[in-house]
Amino acid sequence: MFDLLPNQLPWFVAGPALGLLVVALFGLANQPLGASGAYVQTAGWLRRRSGIATWRVWYFVGMFLGGLLVTQVLRDDSPVRSGYDALRDAFPLWFVIPLVFTGSVLLGYGAGLAGGCTSGHGLCGTAQRSPASLAVTATFMTTAIVTTFVLGLVTGGAL
Amino acid sequence: MKLNVLGLISGIAFGGILAGARLHEYDTIHSTLSFEDPYVFLFMGSAVAISAPLLWWLERRGTETPLGGTLALSRAKPEPHHLKGGALFGIGWAVAGTCPAPALVMLSSGALLALVAIPGIFIGLGLRERQAMRDLERSVLGQKTTNPKTPAR
Repeated sequence: MFDLLPNQLPWFVAGPALGLLVVALFGLANQPLGASGAYVQTAGWLRRRSGIATWRVWYFVGMFLGGLLVTQVLRDDSPVRSGYDALRDAFPLWFVIPLVFTGSVLLGYGAGLAGGCTSGHGLCGTAQRSPASLAVTATFMTTAIVTTFVLGLVTGGAL
Repeated sequence: MKLNVLGLISGIAFGGILAGARLHEYDTIHSTLSFEDPYVFLFMGSAVAISAPLLWWLERRGTETPLGGTLALSRAKPEPHHLKGGALFGIGWAVAGTCPAPALVMLSSGALLALVAIPGIFIGLGLRERQAMRDLERSVLGQKTTNPKTPAR
């Protein structure tokens, strides 16, 4: 709408801002900023389970709204598109959909098993100097880099 | 109530920062994991470089948080499920080019393939939850002793 923000904030602005947000949530509520936990709590809330941390459901909604604010109000992103530019250039849509779905199920299952994802372990866990989170982060970084390398080989450099 | 408001505000801030950094784009994640552009490493690294010393200091001075008692950081020991889960998460992250928080921003950015990614993440987390429940039931019945895994955070 307004196009106030650059296409991509420099890392030295976005990264420290995220670091301060992590500190703020710990300092105010003694809580980590984990996104996969928000999914679990939101799924439980939708099924009307008891003992739900409702603030994590609000947090889930907030992430969507924050994205909406930046991409649709403060910056001029196109309103509707498929996303996945490089992947869509390399493959037809009928292949991209099951690929993205399979990857998403796998990362969801993995996050559940590890007890957190890039935010819960990668950011907040490492910031707390938790050995388990450091181990999870080192592991997912390694398998992600290897998987990306293999994808590049399999697609003959298209990815 | 106050915690819900804080949850909403921190969600908006987190989603906004991820959108500002374009972490909801496949190309951003993929170009970092293929070592073409170190952006995501620098983004995550600088976030931890800022928060780790501040959290250490806040814990050391015994900070009383307004909504959550005395600040206490968690330091869990690595267990096999951490490594297995981390390994699978990394493969999925590289293939799908997204993770739980950026997938929500992908949807609000108008990228419709987020409607494939988000249900996939819910299904994956749900599959793990069902498996954990079955393991718990089995260990309660005493047929097999498995520790119930800690829930995702």
